[in-house]
Amino acid sequence: MAEIVLDKVSKRFPDGTDAVRDVDLEIADGEFVILVGPSGCGKSTTLNMIAGLEDISSGELRIGGQRVNDKAPRDRDIAMVFQSYALYPNMTVRENMAFPLRLQKLDRETINSKVEEAAKVLELTPLLDRKPANLSGGQRQRVAMGRAIVRQPKAFLMDEPLSNLDAKLRVQMRTVVSRLQKQLGTTTVYVTHDQTEAMTLGDRVVIMRGGQVQQVGPPQELYDHPRNLFVAGFIGSPSMNFLHAAVEEGKLRTALGDVPVGDRLRRELEAADAPRELILGVRPEHFEDAELVDAETRQRGLEFEAPVEIVESMGSDKYVYLTVEGERASAAELEELAADAGAADLTGGGANLVTRLSAESSVTEGENRRVWFNLEKIHLFDPANGRNLTLHEGRAAGALAS
Amino acid sequence: MATETTTRARLRWGLLDAVVVVFALIPVLWIASLSFKTPATLTDGKFIPREWTLENYRTIFATDQFVRALVNSIGIALIATLIAVVLGAMAAYAIARLDFPGKKLLVGVSLLIAMFPQVSLVSPLFEIERQVGLFDTWPGLILPHITFALPLAIYTLSAFFKQIPWDLEKAAKMDGATQGQAFRRVIAPLAAPGLFTTAILVFIFCWNDFLFAITLTSTERARTVPVALSFFTGASQFEDPTGAICAAAVVITVPIILFVLFFQRRIVSGLTSGAVKG
Repeated sequence: MAEIVLDKVSKRFPDGTDAVRDVDLEIADGEFVILVGPSGCGKSTTLNMIAGLEDISSGELRIGGQRVNDKAPRDRDIAMVFQSYALYPNMTVRENMAFPLRLQKLDRETINSKVEEAAKVLELTPLLDRKPANLSGGQRQRVAMGRAIVRQPKAFLMDEPLSNLDAKLRVQMRTVVSRLQKQLGTTTVYVTHDQTEAMTLGDRVVIMRGGQVQQVGPPQELYDHPRNLFVAGFIGSPSMNFLHAAVEEGKLRTALGDVPVGDRLRRELEAADAPRELILGVRPEHFEDAELVDAETRQRGLEFEAPVEIVESMGSDKYVYLTVEGERASAAELEELAADAGAADLTGGGANLVTRLSAESSVTEGENRRVWFNLEKIHLFDPANGRNLTLHEGRAAGALAS
Repeated sequence: MATETTTRARLRWGLLDAVVVVFALIPVLWIASLSFKTPATLTDGKFIPREWTLENYRTIFATDQFVRALVNSIGIALIATLIAVVLGAMAAYAIARLDFPGKKLLVGVSLLIAMFPQVSLVSPLFEIERQVGLFDTWPGLILPHITFALPLAIYTLSAFFKQIPWDLEKAAKMDGATQGQAFRRVIAPLAAPGLFTTAILVFIFCWNDFLFAITLTSTERARTVPVALSFFTGASQFEDPTGAICAAAVVITVPIILFVLFFQRRIVSGLTSGAVKG
């Protein structure tokens, strides 16, 4: 087991594309780190460079304190689980799992006991003599993990290991992966494009975009204190609502009404080069049915009225979709996120708000409803560079912070 | 309703299959039938011989020219096949896996060779081989055979290699294999059906070749069976050699059939299923 350090690691392909740019990352011994981002963000390339399947163009990669840039994959002592599982079809499950051990030239008894042990952990014992072709997707996935854990490597690399499974199995396997990692305590780097996996699995999450690291931190911190527009939009489901906000006389004019700003933010906005237009970000759960908000809480937020389009009752709470007039927020990051979600061409008039209200709310479709939102929890972004202006020393403090 | 259509479909397909098989096999069976007939009944037009005899087979194996030709044929075809498949596998692997400068050119040139009419090369080859002393030798036939079999081998093999998921090779490397071990223990077993298919195709090509064999040989030293057959005269000059030629034709068909039957068991389609998802 060992820590993995990426020191200004870059990858430039022969055709001139920069897949990964100056990635700095320190992964502690035993840590579970998730690399997440939309497709083409360089997360898989980064993983492949750690694995040794891709050359590192510049920078240094250290595993356990040792520079491994020029080492072949087999000399790095790390195991990898592939998205496609990559099981050897000509070998049985047992032979698949024994393959790395046989290459280490261990004796037959040791190999057998190690394989049996790993099979037991992953509940593969009854399947040991089957060929991969006769296994279900979930079973193949477990064999792929078994092959990785059997030789107790310094680190595990996982390249979207669950993305080929159906939704239900994926949730189940997520807990299997999580439990396995805790049990073994092996340093793990896990690549995914699924933000739910990123939020639920990792000790820390690395969000990447265009080959660069956007933010690194524990899932909750990324959620509460996103450094920029991209992180804010990527993390969270349903995702954060973004609205256009115009800066006017120390206030922000938005579709939800005029938002007052606190002293700290005002000072920033008074600077000569300050943006005149901002993007307001509000998470769905920071809205509430105005009827259900007590007077004291009401003080901390703002109310507005909007027609209710759709109500989705989730049991524990209600997702309410509201239509608001006004300009849509626009920024390169948002377009990229929409493209990644496959919704780039879904441009209706006005803006849609997704809100998450209490289950007790009596909201119905078609009516006009008064809705309250928490000003302490909103984020403001500079559309030009995506920076979160409400962030102060790494903490988001809403619009009113003084 | 559903069963009715399947029965009818099965009948239709069965009929079609039967037509194809009969069309392909009748000439072969006819030759086999002729080879068992006595000279007297050779031309009686009966499919089943009235008098069975093994005399024709005895005759051909008694003559030295046929046995020598058989040895030449087997030797030349096997050596040419082996070399073509090994070279072809290396080239095909590179074409399927690597992006190297001149790759398109290599593929194009090999295609060009495959399209080149062999007959136009016969005279120059004849001159060249006489000059360098390869005329009427085994290498003198093996070399042109390899040249014309290689494009075939490269094409079939690269198609097979492309089917093998690259992830398997990466996985083997991560599991601690060297490049060589990954190829030997993971890729080669999966490519085996492709290797055998190619071997069969190349072997048949070499085995059946008549043009090169008749121009580039002059004696029993390197003459192959198809050529020897054309020089056949029977036991004595006054005998009609039809029966003997048929017997010889049957004898040279047998190795091909054995070869295909032997390797067919290894050509199991879908060997890679289960490797990756899907």
